[in-house]
Amino acid sequence: MKNFQYFKPKSLKEASEILSKHKGKAHILNGGTDLIIRMRDRIIEPEVVVDIKEIDELNSIHLNKHGELIIGACVNLNDIAHNKIVDENYDFLSKAAHMVGSSQVRNRATMVGNICNASPLADTATPLLALDAKVLVYGAEGKKEISIHDFFIWVRKTCLKIGEIVIGIKIPSYSNDILGDFQKISRRKMVDLSTVCGTVLKNGDDIRIALGAVSPTPIRLRKTEGFIKGKELTEEVIKKALEVAVSEISPIDDIRASKEYRINMTKVIIKRGLKKIRQKNLALAEG
Amino acid sequence: MKYKINFNLNNEEIEHYIDPNRTLLNMIREDFDLTGAKEGCGAGECGACTVLLDGKPVNACLVLAIEVEGKDILTVEGLSPGNKLDELQISFIENAALQCGYCTPGMVMTAKALLKENNNPTEEEVKEALSGNLCRCTGYKKIIKAVMDIVEKGKH
Repeated sequence: MKNFQYFKPKSLKEASEILSKHKGKAHILNGGTDLIIRMRDRIIEPEVVVDIKEIDELNSIHLNKHGELIIGACVNLNDIAHNKIVDENYDFLSKAAHMVGSSQVRNRATMVGNICNASPLADTATPLLALDAKVLVYGAEGKKEISIHDFFIWVRKTCLKIGEIVIGIKIPSYSNDILGDFQKISRRKMVDLSTVCGTVLKNGDDIRIALGAVSPTPIRLRKTEGFIKGKELTEEVIKKALEVAVSEISPIDDIRASKEYRINMTKVIIKRGLKKIRQKNLALAEG
Repeated sequence: MKYKINFNLNNEEIEHYIDPNRTLLNMIREDFDLTGAKEGCGAGECGACTVLLDGKPVNACLVLAIEVEGKDILTVEGLSPGNKLDELQISFIENAALQCGYCTPGMVMTAKALLKENNNPTEEEVKEALSGNLCRCTGYKKIIKAVMDIVEKGKH
């Protein structure tokens, strides 16, 4: 690993100034479980590393006064997965957090780090896409919010500019009970990267579908959602929905799976998610 | 440039000077001769380098040494007070839960962290906790039994 200058600022202002001063030569260090590997393999060689973990406001997970859930940038994935508020309201988000790496990795890695890496298969991205989460960003002009839908640009590329720091994730307050289903298809049950992962979510009459590892970024399947909208989830509708879903993904062959397998697993994830919602709808109808 | 860090290593207060590009694993092995934690994959897959950072298991290969400023590090060498082995170490020996021993310190530390958090885990929970620790010779049955034996003993 090439040597570098290390900074551990206590405030966002200080952190942003260091990042801006060193332009593209500085990198943020959060959990480090991805960054340290990339530095050791000399894929990236920053001259300056800015450790943001000492910035107090980035270390909390709480509901704000509007009932929105705020997940601080430096809260690790185990703390998110075990958090009561998260689990009670969005158990599928807990599950996604729990499915990243090993316990050792989750004691360091964060959800914000997971999305900032912008891997197409980021496990925690699909529940956040399905929840219409906002990415909270601090930059030279102060704080701003970016929709998670605008955040991912390409493989390992986000819309963040130099000097900007993601300070947390905000999940909007929902008046309905959310029913969500996160699934991860991988070669090994634990400690593996997703071959395909996805979240199917029901918010009132609204059904949302998000998938990872089937496109250059994690995506929402808007056409499929549009097709389902207002329809009863019969076998026929589900079957047709799967065809629509296949038309809006672009998976690739790689070391983990073939394109064909990913297409099939896409269908499996969506079918299971929709059937879970159908069951819930039936249970509600029967009261 | 070396940076000064202060931390607690196996219940000893340490002041140390370190280059920022060194990992925690590299520092404990090279500077403190604590060679229990091993480098296996160097990528957070195998768990051979597991140590406890403020009581939680982490991969020491994925932590920079400079990040442990103000923190507590426990390695397998610090597990037993004096010359007496920890009950988990004894259980690993009694169950022959090792062959080459490369993964053992990591296994023991991960299991220790689990038992500290949950003194009555199910076998499933033990398997899950150890899922980030790979063993390439013994197989896992004896390792899981070594941990479950402690759980069983704790019940009496």
